Amino acid sequence: MTELRRIVRGYAFTIAGITIGVAGLVALGAMSERIVRFIEGGDRFVLGQISVAGRGMGMGTGFTAGGLLPAATIRKIAEVEGVAGVQSQVMLPLNPTTSQFMTLTQELVLGLDLSVPMPNRHYRELPVRAGRFLREGDRRVAVVGASFAASRGLGVGSRLTLEGAPYEVVGVLERMLTAPDRFVIVPIADAREQWVAKDRLLQTLLASGAAALTAADLNTGAAVGWRNGQDPDAVALRIREKVAGVNVQIPSELSRLLRSSTAFFSALFAGLGALALVIGGLSLANTMAAAVFERIRDFGVKRALGATDVHLGREVLGESLAVTLTGGLAGIALALLLGAVIDGWAARSSQQLFHFSPRLLAGALAFSVLLGVAAAAWATFRVVSLSPAEAIRRGA
Amino acid sequence: MLRAAGLVKSYRAPSGAAIRVLAGAELTVKEGEFVVVAGPSGSGKSTLLNVIGLLEDADSGETWYGDERVSALGRNGQSRARARYVGFVFQSFLLLPSLTALDNVLLAARYAGRRGPAARRRALALLEELGVADRKDHFPPQLSGGEQQRVAYCRAVLNDPPLLLADEPTGNLDDANGAVILEGLRRRARAGAAVVVVSHRPEAATGATAVYRLRDGVLEA
Repeated sequence: MTELRRIVRGYAFTIAGITIGVAGLVALGAMSERIVRFIEGGDRFVLGQISVAGRGMGMGTGFTAGGLLPAATIRKIAEVEGVAGVQSQVMLPLNPTTSQFMTLTQELVLGLDLSVPMPNRHYRELPVRAGRFLREGDRRVAVVGASFAASRGLGVGSRLTLEGAPYEVVGVLERMLTAPDRFVIVPIADAREQWVAKDRLLQTLLASGAAALTAADLNTGAAVGWRNGQDPDAVALRIREKVAGVNVQIPSELSRLLRSSTAFFSALFAGLGALALVIGGLSLANTMAAAVFERIRDFGVKRALGATDVHLGREVLGESLAVTLTGGLAGIALALLLGAVIDGWAARSSQQLFHFSPRLLAGALAFSVLLGVAAAAWATFRVVSLSPAEAIRRGA
Repeated sequence: MLRAAGLVKSYRAPSGAAIRVLAGAELTVKEGEFVVVAGPSGSGKSTLLNVIGLLEDADSGETWYGDERVSALGRNGQSRARARYVGFVFQSFLLLPSLTALDNVLLAARYAGRRGPAARRRALALLEELGVADRKDHFPPQLSGGEQQRVAYCRAVLNDPPLLLADEPTGNLDDANGAVILEGLRRRARAGAAVVVVSHRPEAATGATAVYRLRDGVLEA
């Protein structure tokens, strides 16, 4: 312990340098992981179902943007060969203003037809952290995403007002680091009411009686599942072929679309991560090597007193391990602190910028320790190749 | 104890020209002898001491510690020979700033494989003998020059080396502190060590068994 204190005191500036380098590396890595998890989560979702919307433009948003998808069309979809189940959905922006245009994901209201099991193969049910998920027959209750709940301080039993109507929060989802984190999920009947309340055109249309619409026709889309052994793309193409007036998203196409639309962010953060790795790595290696070179005179003196390569190698290994571990852990702690502060601020607008996975933290620590030790070993090798007299002269 | 024969050492000047510092120097020092090497600055005294102390290699020539031709050893072999045979006292003390006075003294035991309570007891006794025991927990920058050299002297003699090499040991000291260090070295010689002191100060030669001058790279009596 005394030895560790001596090392920490003697290498205070080196440790500070490593701390800052590792903190930068971890913070950028956590931002990169966040975006990767978001994209992977979205990809997993769209590959788990066939998303269908009515042809045309409408109020719908999210994965099922398009026109109305009437009940009769949904019944036709269910009859297509290979289809295992169809769940009607209403997806609406919680706040339909342009101010949310630049957000990573909008806050959405998702209305689900609870008489049908969720057809998404990757999300048979959404993971609930507290309370329960919606049940058939529920009305005026909501299950909210983790970010949505955090931004508004909501928990099970909280009250929520949507389009002037009161809702009770019965469940909060686990943090999924993807779209549902910002969802409010309600029974489809409640979502339909909200849709009508939001959309003056729809109000006018319904009031005029010109269109033969019932509540069951007010769907922005449907999630379609496929039978075991069926190719989802083939089922999707079959729906497109057999059912008129629908926009069918081919799962693999949608996945490609999602990836290409987020490619910029992926590339940006991958680039930033790589840059952080290079800059942080160089800075760390340079700091560690410089710390050894600074002590060139000490090495000369130690050799004069009889230190062999093994003695010096062991000392440097022990010291560099202590220094890089201390600096690495402090850097991780600093990054976690910064992340917590920034995410605390971002949570007010339902955002989360960092994801500190155990894999990232362990990787950053291992990276800093291995690189630091390697740099120190290289510098030591250079120093011990000098004669003791030369080392003392150069360090004078 | 020490025998150096035909030591030749040259340095390369910035112009590329070779500067010959040692040109076949010969030196033999027996156990119990106190030998002083004098000469003006730049005459090569420190180079001689570095070569016979295995701190740098000669271009040619041999150095023997007892029956062992140590100049032929490899890097780590020479390190082990230094730990076993040699104690150094340098003009600029060369204490490690990150260690306390006591830890600096104990450093010599560490590399000689003599760590333990006995080494610690001896280090404390030496610091007491040199009058710096109360400074044992101080770091070098907290010590005066005289105190630092006393600590460095304790480090040099901790392992009771049979050969003591001192390079201008009083060069940075006042007369009183210089006298303490020189007397310590003479005492070691009386106790049986072979002591070589390089100095341009006349008082260093007091009590010397032999005084040499280094002139044109060769030692002259």
